[in-house]
Amino acid sequence: MDDATLVVRARGGDSRAFEVLVRRYQGPMYRLALHMLAGRGDAEDVVQEVFLTAWRRLPQLRDDTAFLGWLYRATTNRCLNLIRARRPVAEADLDSRESADAAGAPERAAQVSEQLTALGEALKRLTPEQRACWLLREVHGRSYMEIAGATGTTQTAVRGRIARARAQLAEAMAPWR
Amino acid sequence: MEMSDAQGCMLPCGRDVETVWARLDATDTGSADAHEDTCTYCSTTRKGLVVLRHVAGGLASEEAAPVSLGLVARIMSAVRAETRRHHMLTLPGPEPGGLRISEQAVAAVLRSAADSVDGVRARRCRIAATETVGEVEVEMSLAVAYRRFSADAVHEVRERVAAAAAARVGVTPARLDLTVEDLYDA
Repeated sequence: MDDATLVVRARGGDSRAFEVLVRRYQGPMYRLALHMLAGRGDAEDVVQEVFLTAWRRLPQLRDDTAFLGWLYRATTNRCLNLIRARRPVAEADLDSRESADAAGAPERAAQVSEQLTALGEALKRLTPEQRACWLLREVHGRSYMEIAGATGTTQTAVRGRIARARAQLAEAMAPWR
Repeated sequence: MEMSDAQGCMLPCGRDVETVWARLDATDTGSADAHEDTCTYCSTTRKGLVVLRHVAGGLASEEAAPVSLGLVARIMSAVRAETRRHHMLTLPGPEPGGLRISEQAVAAVLRSAADSVDGVRARRCRIAATETVGEVEVEMSLAVAYRRFSADAVHEVRERVAAAAAARVGVTPARLDLTVEDLYDA
């Protein structure tokens, strides 16, 4: 069933319709929060709060097709606020990332896993704003316009942040082949 | 602003990282220019970008960072608790502490009363308690059949909704706002 229909039903108090939306989008929101915050517990808390807020604000969501964009914006904002509130950042457990175990290609899987860990470490060294812009664009495929809205800045600034993030991440990944 | 953005990504050879990124496919397929063929800065950056492009998708994958199994349940129990807390009406009655009913249950009764009028379909129905126990404010939107619709139908809806609220739920609508928001063909 399409998002818009589920949103209209959920707005009317249908929690089952809302649960379908939660199941559909908890994964991407969780992974965005996880890579923003580098902590599983924090990431899950953010996702829970985002969906609970979504449930409360459904009556105010004017465009029923804009639900996913709203989720990305809310998740990004909540992560950035959390990071700003707790600076300087305590190093969290990004290492708790479980290794991918692709059947039949253990060696390659191990290397990809190590590369992912290296990328995770490099992500931590970006500014939170660069990290948000880069993740939204390169991992979640959101538009520049949407990212500008989600991070409260201009599209030009978004492009600049992504460029700087990409340069820094590429430098960190260069030792890998 | 844009100047400093570009300078932040400038390689010592004078090319910027975005240019290397934009030309990644071109250089891959053998159409590198003379500079790109020989420049070590460009080539190191290119290698990093290729790995980055390859690995970035992994960050989105379920396997690399699975969501904990209980998350949906936790979210939904918070959502349902919220529903209970904010959407209960107290009914008048002799019981100490009063009798409570969910607004959704009341909305279902009122919608069906409106649906019983020929050529009318109830859509959104919002119910709010007032200061007085036993009084509610109701907002309801309707879709009406344009071939059969008459102004009387809205009056009829008003009467039936008020009657159902009193007889089947035990509350009086202190306010009943009806909005015709759509037409249907039937």
